[in-house]
Amino acid sequence: MQIKKVLSKEEIEEIEKIIERNYGCKAGLHSYNVFMTGEEKIWIVSKDIDFRFFDTIKRCYRIGIYFGKLKRNKKIKLSIEGAIIVGKEAKKNIAVLSEEEAKKFMQGYDVKAEKLIEAEIHNFILVKCKEDFLGVGILRQGYIENLVPKARRLVKLNSNI
Amino acid sequence: MAKMIPDADAFFSAKQEWKSIRVNTLKIDRDKLLRRLQERYEIKEMPWYENGFFIKGENIAKNMEHYLGYYHIQEAASMLPPLVLQPEKDFIIDACAAPGSKTTQLAMMMNNGGVIVANDVSISRIKALTHNIQKAGATNCIITNYDARYLYKIGIKASKILIDAPCTASGKIIKDKRMAEKWKYWRVKKMSRLQKALIRGAYECLQDDGIIIYSTCSIEPEENEEVIDYALQHFNLEIEKISIHGIKTRHGIKEWNGKKFEWFDKVVRIWPQDNLTEGFFICKLRKC
Repeated sequence: MQIKKVLSKEEIEEIEKIIERNYGCKAGLHSYNVFMTGEEKIWIVSKDIDFRFFDTIKRCYRIGIYFGKLKRNKKIKLSIEGAIIVGKEAKKNIAVLSEEEAKKFMQGYDVKAEKLIEAEIHNFILVKCKEDFLGVGILRQGYIENLVPKARRLVKLNSNI
Repeated sequence: MAKMIPDADAFFSAKQEWKSIRVNTLKIDRDKLLRRLQERYEIKEMPWYENGFFIKGENIAKNMEHYLGYYHIQEAASMLPPLVLQPEKDFIIDACAAPGSKTTQLAMMMNNGGVIVANDVSISRIKALTHNIQKAGATNCIITNYDARYLYKIGIKASKILIDAPCTASGKIIKDKRMAEKWKYWRVKKMSRLQKALIRGAYECLQDDGIIIYSTCSIEPEENEEVIDYALQHFNLEIEKISIHGIKTRHGIKEWNGKKFEWFDKVVRIWPQDNLTEGFFICKLRKC
């Protein structure tokens, strides 16, 4: 894993501002060490992990968890874990799904929202069912484009989720 | 082999009817998850671990709670080595970490504090490890891809090391009766050599007064007591007695192939027929 940049407090604050602009809340990233890899991917790790440690470790495959990816126009595509963290306090760009649509979403299908909360078209939105945040999608005209990674999709769900 | 198995008939005929899961308290409160699952599944609490449950029902890997990483499907006995390790804000090496059940359990028990070097030699198994660490939301893990026998060469020192060693997995017979047909003595010997080398490698990475937890899901003395005997003879390690509550455990084997293991009552064996779990061997060693 090639760390491109360990983010300073100011740089983390810039990402917090992007999150706030998009979701109406902060993500609490200051409680983590945050770094970037290629393609503007953001990763979060516990504060106890010291980056000097990696001078000796050459075969490091992964550190911490993938939070999301910065996109053009000050947007951010969150991972499922990123969506769960941000979702706790999010106030806008949220799509609420019915249980039926939630099942489809977890299987990787595009879905229709039961309710949209201050959702901006063509932006990344947090996808929610009851109190759970399931990940993110892109709000299109009349539907939500699914962004659940293939490895996380459920092939077949219980009839009763 | 059958001569050292207590109640061999029960051993070979034991069946597991319940699956086991571990709540991921990094993502959800234990009782909240329990309430949700009880609406759809039959659930029993695990007497030896508050965050472990036995579960019966269909498709437990295909529901919303599993998708979100609220729980991890994990063999009940495999939750024991992290409990014996008692992680705090330590620097821990999980030497043979994939697919990551114990690693994510450790991260959870540490509440994402401290550091876990989750190492595995196999790149294909590291993919599963990565997936599980991401899904668990474990932010204190560093995944490395080294042969754990030579991990000391990169100069890291840990206060605690978990070696859940590759093994012949004969304790899995409760899940797969074909294990008995597949059993080959040369595999036992090969694994035993590897396990001794892994303990040697771990010892070199251990801080003074540090702890090694050695475990396997195999019942063969060559992979368990004999490996510990080798470690005690060759390295500055002492064995510490393990006591686990809520599960029936037995002492180790007292004597095997002419070798006497004086410390047999300090290690723990979990036999499949006793608790309807996989068989396990666990030992705690301290560097002195």
